[in-house]
Amino acid sequence: MRFIILMKPLAYLDPGSGSFIIQMLLAGLLGVGVGVRIYWKKIVAFFNKKKGTGAQDDLDDLDEYGGKDDISSTDSDE
Amino acid sequence: MTRVEKEFASFRDPSGFLFYQDDVLYRQVNQEYQPHYDRLMESGLYQDLIDHGLMVAHEEVDSVKAPQPDLAYKIIQPQKVRFISYPYEWSFHELRSAALTTLRLTRMALDHGMILKDASAYNLQFVEGSWKLIDTLSFETYEEGAPWVAYKQFCQHFLAPLALMSYRDLRLNLMSRLFIDGIPLDVAANLLPGKTKLNFGLMTHIHLHARTQARYAGKEVKREEVKGKVSQQALIGLLDSLRNTVKGLSVRTSGTEWADYYDDTNYSQTAFEEKKAIIGQFVDEVQPNEVWDMGANNGEFSRVASDRGIFTVAFDIDANAISKAYIQVRKNRETNLLPLVMDLTNPSPGLGWAHRERQSLIERGPVPMAFALALVHHLAISNNVPLPKLAQFFSEVCENLVIEFVPKSDSQVKRLLASRLDIFDDYTIDGFEAAFKTKFKILQMVSVPESERTLFLMRAKK
Repeated sequence: MRFIILMKPLAYLDPGSGSFIIQMLLAGLLGVGVGVRIYWKKIVAFFNKKKGTGAQDDLDDLDEYGGKDDISSTDSDE
Repeated sequence: MTRVEKEFASFRDPSGFLFYQDDVLYRQVNQEYQPHYDRLMESGLYQDLIDHGLMVAHEEVDSVKAPQPDLAYKIIQPQKVRFISYPYEWSFHELRSAALTTLRLTRMALDHGMILKDASAYNLQFVEGSWKLIDTLSFETYEEGAPWVAYKQFCQHFLAPLALMSYRDLRLNLMSRLFIDGIPLDVAANLLPGKTKLNFGLMTHIHLHARTQARYAGKEVKREEVKGKVSQQALIGLLDSLRNTVKGLSVRTSGTEWADYYDDTNYSQTAFEEKKAIIGQFVDEVQPNEVWDMGANNGEFSRVASDRGIFTVAFDIDANAISKAYIQVRKNRETNLLPLVMDLTNPSPGLGWAHRERQSLIERGPVPMAFALALVHHLAISNNVPLPKLAQFFSEVCENLVIEFVPKSDSQVKRLLASRLDIFDDYTIDGFEAAFKTKFKILQMVSVPESERTLFLMRAKK
């Protein structure tokens, strides 16, 4: 039943039955990962300093954080 | 008398639509979208997106009458985007940036209790040095437990073409031209090498995803039977996984036919610098507000225009050279240069519903000025296009043309002719002038020192 409620009238895209089902399975699995990762990151961060590499990583910084200057303001994983 | 016209491509989403009034672009926001629009504006999400350069800004206007007043909630005027480009014109790194930006937008929206309801690559544009969402109506209120409606679309529009480019061939960005709503995942799964099944992200988001789609295709899934929900943490997990998968994809940006072009020409350093100076002088004379550099390679000469603050689009057939140009643009935080992959012998056509959802290249012009540098011999000799047809094409594309004639005695042309019969009797500087004079007035003609080449500045005849 919940599914009907979740399919709001505004959803003008057809999300696809198969896509919905795989998403539910994956999300469940990956959600657990998020919980684990929060703690794992803290451990890793403790031992490791972030190293900058290559052009692609610089691009990633720009796309994901708008440049290194404001990493802290948007990287709100936790 | 005001002239109102609905934007043809704006018809899918009932939340609103774009229209032109006296050639200015507006968007009608419909009443059914009101709660979401209000939330976007009031939750701080809009301001956050604007502050980070992630969405085009807009203003609410009262002076413009709604084309469909019975549905209308508000009329907004979005910031103007000078040139609309399409995913099949983006290099690997541009599509990758657009993908990461889409995920970043989604995460940012979640922090404000909203979510992206579509993940169309066509909703992103590279504007003034950053990727921006151009569809203001893409957000909706997030409801805890709801899955991400746009998951399939994200995989089709971004993940599938990126994976194909990364694992198979850069030129597969052109597949997005065949499939207007992104590459179907079964097609992507069939084309990707088996080893992509060892990549967790690709295995799940493409291979397993495609298989699940096939399994449930055409079957009526009883909604009641689908139990469970997607918690916010799970959704974040999904988004992070997509992000990591995208970030894990890469291509090499060296060693192609053009990427090292400038190390391998018969240009001397003097000729190179002189050529730049002459082009700069032509640009200063015409003072265009937009330039298209046709056959731009890595954008070396495009920057003669863009460094003068002129919005410039750099087109080249070589996806690798365009990737390089783009990486340079991002590194230097250039805001006036848009590098795009384009095969000028077969430029982007009008696509989608009634051929009118995505514009052809020519429809997006004409521009005040175009460059055609070291290009004519490729079109005339490699592609057998007669010179009068070239003149015709350029006269449809631009008002002013900077064009370089490269004679048969030039080593680049010799190379093109080495493996074929020379059937190009008209390919001389006189033949070139005669052909272009039918469509253009030749304003200046300067030979490039220490080379056999000649630069022309021409103006299209009305």
